Amino acid sequence: MRPFEGGGEMIREVTRANVTYADAPMRFEAGTPPIVEAVGLAAALDYLDAVGRERIDAHELALARNATRRLKEVNGIRIIGEAADKGPIISFEAIGIHAHDLATILDREGVAVRGGHHCAQPLMERFSVSGTARASFALYNTAAEVDALIAAVGEARRVFG
Amino acid sequence: MDQTLRELYQDIILDHSRHPRHFGALPGASHVAEGHNPLCGDKVKIYLLVDANRRITDVSFEGKGCAISVASASLMTELLKGRTVEEAEGLMGGFLHLVRGESAQTLEEDDRERLEVMAGVSAFPMRVKCATLAWHAMKAALEGERTARTE
Repeated sequence: MRPFEGGGEMIREVTRANVTYADAPMRFEAGTPPIVEAVGLAAALDYLDAVGRERIDAHELALARNATRRLKEVNGIRIIGEAADKGPIISFEAIGIHAHDLATILDREGVAVRGGHHCAQPLMERFSVSGTARASFALYNTAAEVDALIAAVGEARRVFG
Repeated sequence: MDQTLRELYQDIILDHSRHPRHFGALPGASHVAEGHNPLCGDKVKIYLLVDANRRITDVSFEGKGCAISVASASLMTELLKGRTVEEAEGLMGGFLHLVRGESAQTLEEDDRERLEVMAGVSAFPMRVKCATLAWHAMKAALEGERTARTE
């Protein structure tokens, strides 16, 4: 396979008449490699190991379970996807409120969700919904942020009735 | 809820979205076009009946979408009825200024007052295309196009 771009480190020999390229993968990695990114990735992995993968899992799942339970207490909220071993992410519909209206209100209340069909239109059709809001939890999220999510969904409910 | 949100979701907008005016197909329409926003899934179909004097004697729409796009379509149908094609284009020009937060001096005072309820969307750049979808579809219909897209 011929190289798709030129740059440092991808050449074997260049003469006035001819050129030969380094072996793969070097021939496809012209120029300065992403050194900073590789160092950053290693630092991020060290950080995750220092915190502990199991602790991160437990923290994220506790937030998601708490949020799921409390979302169900808000009027007209339908949770989509409740597999027993699902990850710390919640797709939900506020019945009567389009996902983009919901996402706009949540955004203004300081809560970032993804709203819409999530590039999964057939799945939306399967659940008879035009779109959902999707909240996810990571190790840096807090219980107070779950409170903010619940309050913001309640606010959207008040606006739209 | 903060002020910018309150301006976006005014009672009149919520009312139009819950009870859209001139909703449904218009049998005998002379001009029809569909507006589609593939990224958010909003769809709106505009029906116009234009007479020999280029006057819009009847108008309707159908479709589904967020509160902003449905309210905007509903409000548009209220304003279009009885206007000439040229007046409709003028309304659209003024409306586009309003939702982008620009001044809409070209609009008659009455029209400006009625359309100004949508001006709150200018604080939400992501949502401007929701408000303009029906208007683009209307323009496409008048120009004999069958579809309009806001993406």
